[in-house]
Amino acid sequence: MERLNRDVYIAVVLLVLCGVLFWATFDIRQPDYGVLMPSAWPRTILVALTILSLIYLIQSLRRGRDGAPAEEIEGIAGIEARQPGLIGWILYWRNPLWCFALFLAYLITLPVFGMLIGGVLFVFVLQGVLGGWALRRLAYHAAVALLTVGGMWSVFTYGLDVMLPAGMLFDPFR
Amino acid sequence: MILDNIMAAFGEILTVQTLILMLVGVAGGLIAGAIPGFTIAMAVVLTLPFTFGMPASQGLATMVSVLVGGLSGGLMAGILTGIPGTPSSVATTFDGFPMARGGKPGLALGIGVWSSFCGGIISACLLVTLAPQLARIGLEFNPWDYFMLVMFALTITASLAGRSLVKGLIAGLVGLLVRTVGEDEAVGMARFDFGTDVLLQGFDFIAVLIGLFAFSQLLRDVRDPVVARKSLTERSAVQIRIEHRAAIREVMKRWTIVIRSALIGVFTGILPGAGGSIANILAYDQAKKASKHPDKFGTGIPDGIIAPESSNNAVEGGALIVLMALGIPGDVTAAVMLGALLIHDVIPSPTFISEEPVLAYSIFIAFFLATFIMLGLQSFMLRVFVLVTKVRMYVLASIILGFCGIGVFAINNIEFDVWTLLWFGILGFVMRHFGFPLAPMILGVVLGNIAELNLSRAMAISTDLTPFFTRPWALFFLLMALFSAAFPLFQAHRGKRLWTLFYLPTACFALSAPLFMMGGVTRPILAAALAALGAFVLWRRARGGWLLSTSEDQAVLRES
Repeated sequence: MERLNRDVYIAVVLLVLCGVLFWATFDIRQPDYGVLMPSAWPRTILVALTILSLIYLIQSLRRGRDGAPAEEIEGIAGIEARQPGLIGWILYWRNPLWCFALFLAYLITLPVFGMLIGGVLFVFVLQGVLGGWALRRLAYHAAVALLTVGGMWSVFTYGLDVMLPAGMLFDPFR
Repeated sequence: MILDNIMAAFGEILTVQTLILMLVGVAGGLIAGAIPGFTIAMAVVLTLPFTFGMPASQGLATMVSVLVGGLSGGLMAGILTGIPGTPSSVATTFDGFPMARGGKPGLALGIGVWSSFCGGIISACLLVTLAPQLARIGLEFNPWDYFMLVMFALTITASLAGRSLVKGLIAGLVGLLVRTVGEDEAVGMARFDFGTDVLLQGFDFIAVLIGLFAFSQLLRDVRDPVVARKSLTERSAVQIRIEHRAAIREVMKRWTIVIRSALIGVFTGILPGAGGSIANILAYDQAKKASKHPDKFGTGIPDGIIAPESSNNAVEGGALIVLMALGIPGDVTAAVMLGALLIHDVIPSPTFISEEPVLAYSIFIAFFLATFIMLGLQSFMLRVFVLVTKVRMYVLASIILGFCGIGVFAINNIEFDVWTLLWFGILGFVMRHFGFPLAPMILGVVLGNIAELNLSRAMAISTDLTPFFTRPWALFFLLMALFSAAFPLFQAHRGKRLWTLFYLPTACFALSAPLFMMGGVTRPILAAALAALGAFVLWRRARGGWLLSTSEDQAVLRES
């Protein structure tokens, strides 16, 4: 355990991924025609990737344990420092995590809200989460969300004739 | 014939609608380039969904305009606030900001604008003249050569893109692997679909590009809650008038720097993997070395603005030369341009210019026109820039994330593409965090199909693998790939290990062999010159007693 660092874990993940995908190449149907089998190219890539992952693993093991995490060093320079533990990790990465979570929610609710309402809600809530919920900002955030998403939705729907998902809520009004 | 094509291309571009779109494109590019944390590639990739419904020439002209605007936008932020808008304008801040702080912001901006203009025009001229010539060479390529060219492009990008070659190569291979998901191009068999219909169609590579590049970058930009709530630039940019006349005089007086830097830019652009971020530093360094007063660099002299600005605007001309002549993107931005061409059912290859001359010349003309539009718009956009600097990063990121969803859906009208955007956004974010460069992965995604198709064609012609090592062009690219892979190692040990003294001569001798094999007159002469250069370097080092650099030299080398 003394020699483990985060690169070792990434190398192991890569090796596992290569193994799984190599196994999956046996599910690729091989036709009776053609010279280059459909599995040949992915297998070539996977063999090269496995070799490089092994080199990466060896390099990482030889390097030894990690020093202080870069994020903790950042704190010295006056930027927000990362506190230890899971809570510290979540707090440190809260903004990107919020972005992922809200985008995921936007996608899951897309059949219900559609792209216009869903998009406006996504941009509005994300601004609130990242920029704060102060009352005087809410109107500004709402206006930004409505104007930008509404504008883009109009450009694509009316200007470029793209049928964006209307959603269950918006559909009856069309 | 060429004149007819040029006239037809002018007819395509000089329509009111296209010109308005180009104007909007340049303006958008100028603003995007001026915003720190918002890269040119991001601006170009986000423009892509708007161009789906346009005719090919119009869509590409719009994208070229964003590109040209973006290349010049970085100088506004760099000179007025000291924070480079893009990595391509890092060196501009070295002298631009001191000059602006010294009471001449209008002159500094003027020099930057006119240097960008000159660099862009020189680059456009070379694009028009060199691309068809290079395409003629490209016609000699067979599938073996093409496959090796793709491998070379990936290797050199991996070696130049990040600190670790292994991580760069892994990123490139992951990119190639991503492209294998779905039906294979040659025989249409399902691969890695895991029994699902959505994976059978594969990942749309534009969704992958937007996710990897734009989505992940935005998440990085808002990572720090304090920075996310700040305005884009804390230093306020005051309104200034650009001093055009004085700037033209300064630039004209230093025309040698303009030409040299533009050539550095074009050459860097031609080289796969290198881009504006390398070119502007290289040109600044060369201008400093060639100067009679290198000590004045960094204090706010015109030479220090002219060199980086001429070179970074010339880079994309170089990248477009390779893209249009060979179908190989030189950098991420060119990879997105390749995506734009593919969307309009245009497959760049050596026959592209001869088969689609009107479209090819439309791109050339759009590049020229966009450079002129950029010149005219700079003064106006400076005022808009002052307004944009007041926007907070989290507002901008939220808007763009919202736009990403709509734009990506519009590609194929498939919800799965938006999921692709999210997953690849996460992947790009994680990869950046762990130090994996994204450029090789993006190139891998873009070039994956080309590599496999050419491998398949080569195998269909002959199952013998030796042509990959015996055909002159294939061997040339293989050797280039090997030496570019060894380059980071060479750079790390230069002046410290004995073998590094043999790197350059060995590369010269090795590369002269396939050039000799190509036959004709010019190429064997080039090969002889290359071999002579290798022999000369070897002789000089032998005469010097195979001495390694002193510690002082090493310090200088490290600095450079």
